[in-house]
Order: sequence, then C-alpha cells, then structure tokens
Amino acid sequence: MIELVLQALYSGFLQGGSYALIAFGLALVFGTLKIINLAHGELVLLSAYIAYTVESRMDVNPVFAIPFALVLVCLCSVLVYYLLSFIRKDRELNSLILTYGIAIVLTNALLMIWSADVRATTSPWLQEALVFGPLASMRSELIFFLVSLILMGALWWWLARSWYGRAVRAVASNREAAKLMGIDPRLTEILSFVVAGILASFAGVALFSYGVIHPPLGEALTLKAFTITVLAGLGSIPGVMLGSILLGLAEALTVTFASSALQDLVGMILLLIVLFVLPNGLFGVTGGRG
Amino acid sequence: MKVMLLRWAVVVLLAYFFVPWLFGANAYLMSLIVASLVIGGVALAWALLGNLGGMISFGHSAFFGVGAYVSALLAINADFPIWLAMVCGGIGALLVSVLMLPTLRLKGPYFAIAILAYAQIFRIIATEWRSLTNGVAGLSSIPSLPAVLWWESGSKISSYLIVVTLVFAFILVYRWVANSHYGLALRAMHESEDATRVVGVNSTLLKAAMLLLSACMTGMIGAFNAHYINFLEPDYAFGGVWIVIPIVAAIFGGYRTIWGPLVGAVVVYLVDQLLFKNIFPSGHQIILGIILVVMILFSPGGLLPLLTVRTRKRTC
Repeated sequence: MIELVLQALYSGFLQGGSYALIAFGLALVFGTLKIINLAHGELVLLSAYIAYTVESRMDVNPVFAIPFALVLVCLCSVLVYYLLSFIRKDRELNSLILTYGIAIVLTNALLMIWSADVRATTSPWLQEALVFGPLASMRSELIFFLVSLILMGALWWWLARSWYGRAVRAVASNREAAKLMGIDPRLTEILSFVVAGILASFAGVALFSYGVIHPPLGEALTLKAFTITVLAGLGSIPGVMLGSILLGLAEALTVTFASSALQDLVGMILLLIVLFVLPNGLFGVTGGRG
Repeated sequence: MKVMLLRWAVVVLLAYFFVPWLFGANAYLMSLIVASLVIGGVALAWALLGNLGGMISFGHSAFFGVGAYVSALLAINADFPIWLAMVCGGIGALLVSVLMLPTLRLKGPYFAIAILAYAQIFRIIATEWRSLTNGVAGLSSIPSLPAVLWWESGSKISSYLIVVTLVFAFILVYRWVANSHYGLALRAMHESEDATRVVGVNSTLLKAAMLLLSACMTGMIGAFNAHYINFLEPDYAFGGVWIVIPIVAAIFGGYRTIWGPLVGAVVVYLVDQLLFKNIFPSGHQIILGIILVVMILFSPGGLLPLLTVRTRKRTC
C-alpha cells in the first residue's frame, strides 16, 4: 500500500515538471496581454506530433525533434500573437473567441495531418525503467523533469535579471507605465509568445516521450495549464512549479486509487474549487479576478 | 407594427406550411433542415446568454448533454410521455446551470474557462456513471418523438414541426426578455455593470436568470435531439460540436441580433455538411475554426449586421 502511494507521488511529481512548462507559457502570455491563449494546449500538442513525425520518419530519438518543434511552434505562437493584435473592439471577449477559433483550426489540422489514432513513442531507450529503491520511472520522465527544472531556472533568471525579462514583467504589471519607461510593449508581447512557444515545444516533446497523444488532448492540456495558473496565482514561478506538482500528484493519486478515466476530473474540480474558494491562488499577489 | 406582423405571418407561413409542403417528401433534405434547426436553437440559447447576459460560454454542451440524457432516461426507464420528458430535460439542464451559479462571480476569461471545465466534468460523469448512462456504449432505442397531427410518430415532418415550434418559442421568449425592462437593465449592464448596480439593478440576479434560461432552452433542444435520433453516447451528447457550432453560428450571424444566430446556424451547418464534409472527411470542422477567426478579425458583430449596415448606407 505504502509503496503504491510512494510510487504515485513520485510519478505525479515527475509529471508536474512538464505541466509547469505548459502552465508557464500560458501564464506568461496572460501576464503581458491579459489574454488566455486557449490554443496553447494545441501548440504543445503540435510539438508532440512533430516529435512523433521525426521519430517515425527519420527513425531517431524524439529528443532530436526539439529544434524542429522550436521553429514551428514558435512560429505558430507568434502567428497567434499577430492575429490577436488585430483585435480592437471588446478585446477581452473577442480575443478569447479568437484563440478558441485558432484552437479548433489547430486541433482539426492535427487530425487531418496525423489522423485520430493514438500515438506513443517506440523508443526503448526512453521507455527503459529506472528504479531507485521502491520508486520506478521511465528514463524519459526523469530526463524531462530535469529539463523542465533547468528551463524553469533559466526562466527565473531571465525574468528576474535580464533586461527583456524585466521588461516583460513591467508590461505585465503596468503597461502604460512600462511604455513611459521606454519599453516597447509590442516587442515584449512578441517575446512572451516566443518564450511560451519555446516552453511549449519542450513540453510537447516531453509529452510524447512518456505518454500517449491524440488530437483532442490539446483542450485538456489548456485546461490543466489554466488550473495550474490559477492555483499558483499570477506572477509566481515557484507557485507555478508547486501548482504543477500538486496537479501531477492529485492526478497520479486518482489514477492509483480510483480510475484513470477520472484523472481529468480531478484537475477540473481542483480548478473550480480554486476559482471559487481561493480566487488569488496559493501564491498570488492580491488582485481581483472575482 | 403592421409591417412587423406581416413579416411574422410570412415567416410562420413559410415555416409551417411551405417547408413541409415543398421539402416534406425529401427525407435527406428534411433531416438537414431539422439538424440545422437543432443547432439554430442551441445558437439562439447561446446568444441569449452572450448578448443579453454578456457572458461567452464554452460549456453549452453540458446543458445539451444533460437535457438529452435526462429526457432519454426518463422516457426509457420511467415511461414518461415524450413531451413531459423533454420538459424535464430542460429542467435537468436548468439544475445543472444552478450548479454553475458560482461562476457568475468570475470575470470574462475566468468565467469562460470555468464553464469549459464544467462541460468536461459532465462529459466525464456521463461516461463513468455506467449504471445509469450505460457508459461509452450509450443509450439506444430511445423512444421517438410523438406524432403531430396526421404525421406518424418519429417521421421527419412531425419532428420538423416540433423543432420549429421550439425554435419559435425560443424566439418569442428571447424577444420578450429583450423588450422587457430586464432587457433594458441587461443592455445597460453592457455599458457599465457598476453604474447599473448603482441605479439599483441586481445585476447578479439578472445574469443568473439569463444563465438558467439559456441552459433550460439548450436542454430542451438536447432532449428533442435525443428523441429525434433515438441514440445517445457521451462523446456525442457532450461533444465539442455543441460548444463550437453555436459559437460559430452566433458569431457568424451576429449574436447581438435574434435572427443572426439562427441564420448563421443554418448557413454554417449546411455549408459544413454539404460542402466541407465531402472535401475533408476528417477534420472538416477546421472550417468552423477558420470562420470563427475570420469573423472575429474582420467583423466581430457578425455578417447580418454588416449587410444591414451596407443597405442602410445605400438608402441614406
């Protein structure tokens, strides 16, 4: 029993790593533009399918798909920004609908190109089990957990120390004031979409390397990312990290003790509870969303 | 006023006499018309919430699915008469929306996402509650719709007459709300919710009423659809299509008007089914996404207002 719990906690913990990558992309865009990119999960999924294509066509480890994914997903991400920048009237609602439309286009494009079949990696190297005492995981899970830790560290450094990262934060907290300080808001917004794209590319390849992918997954990913974002509260990297791990743990425990079909239910219920009970998240700065 | 009455008379005459008379013999055409009216009904309910309530919902599939399942289960297990089961389907969807009431505290995107989460939750429940819903296998041989006049039960024409009546009832309800002082308060809330509250309007109550009404309407259409196609499965009844098509239809036709969503639904559904389903058998919904993106970018108010603006300019 106790091993089962430990194992569930361990897998959930590792899963949290790639959730953090997805969630941070969403949070970054939300920070600068105040828009939820409903197509974000689809961007992650696009990267996962690129990994699949690279693996099945070129017969190499899906990790080598990362450069291709980076280029394509970042391009798509910037395209989303480009389309969003056309919106003038009723910005909040219209951009929500716009990203929803983009999500539909992407989901169906994935469906048309790669069909509705469920795909998973065939690489034995990635799927090999690594065992530490009572805890077992696939090699890919561990690798991508480390990758996401490194990326989160880099992101923290970027946001906290570099000029552009601070510009992004400035635009997020007060766009007008940031403008007066000589920051080009458009540039920082594009930058936030590019960084979101980079994170999504890594997350997508991670997703493919230890899980199964199919076209409808994108929406679930967006919802998970959003759950983590509200759980964390806006503008907190440790919060996103912790929120992701929390979601990963909750899901893993559900799979272990109830059924894998209820896995997504937990995330949704967590989302609603947080929205209703803790509207500022666990670590968020105070600021209304209610 | 006279012109108004005349216009209504023409529409009613067309809907009740000419459509069955002209197309009644063609089963394929009738099924297309019924299906587009089903979507039109959902789009109208969606637009009621979107236009009057000012809330963009990504969760109407929850109402549609719950309405369908409640009605089907009551008709199968408790031998309810179909029309009563359909009303209960509407009430079931209304109860679901009562569960959603806390979301009204949330603003714009948060509301939209919370509703999206609700829709997912209900789909998962319908899939997993096997003892009641029969899980993924779904419910089959759901009792057909009652007979209307001399057309037999379950025939295309009687189904058509029922759905057309439902849609007309929706239009009347929508018009009544929009023209009442509630409608005025709701329009005022669009300009500034705070200012409207200051004048003494209970804005939360009004928004809640719109949510319940919209849910009930969607549930009844869902119930109709369940008895019309006699089969339900969770992925269909709670499918993304019931979220996407009404949004596309309402945005395409213009959700600020009453006829916009209806016309939009018929046009979008027919174009999708007749044209794009043949060109791209899988993933043909991509066209819905494209329509949505293009409409939002170029004419967020919809196509119908665009046309009327054009003609008005010409007459000036």
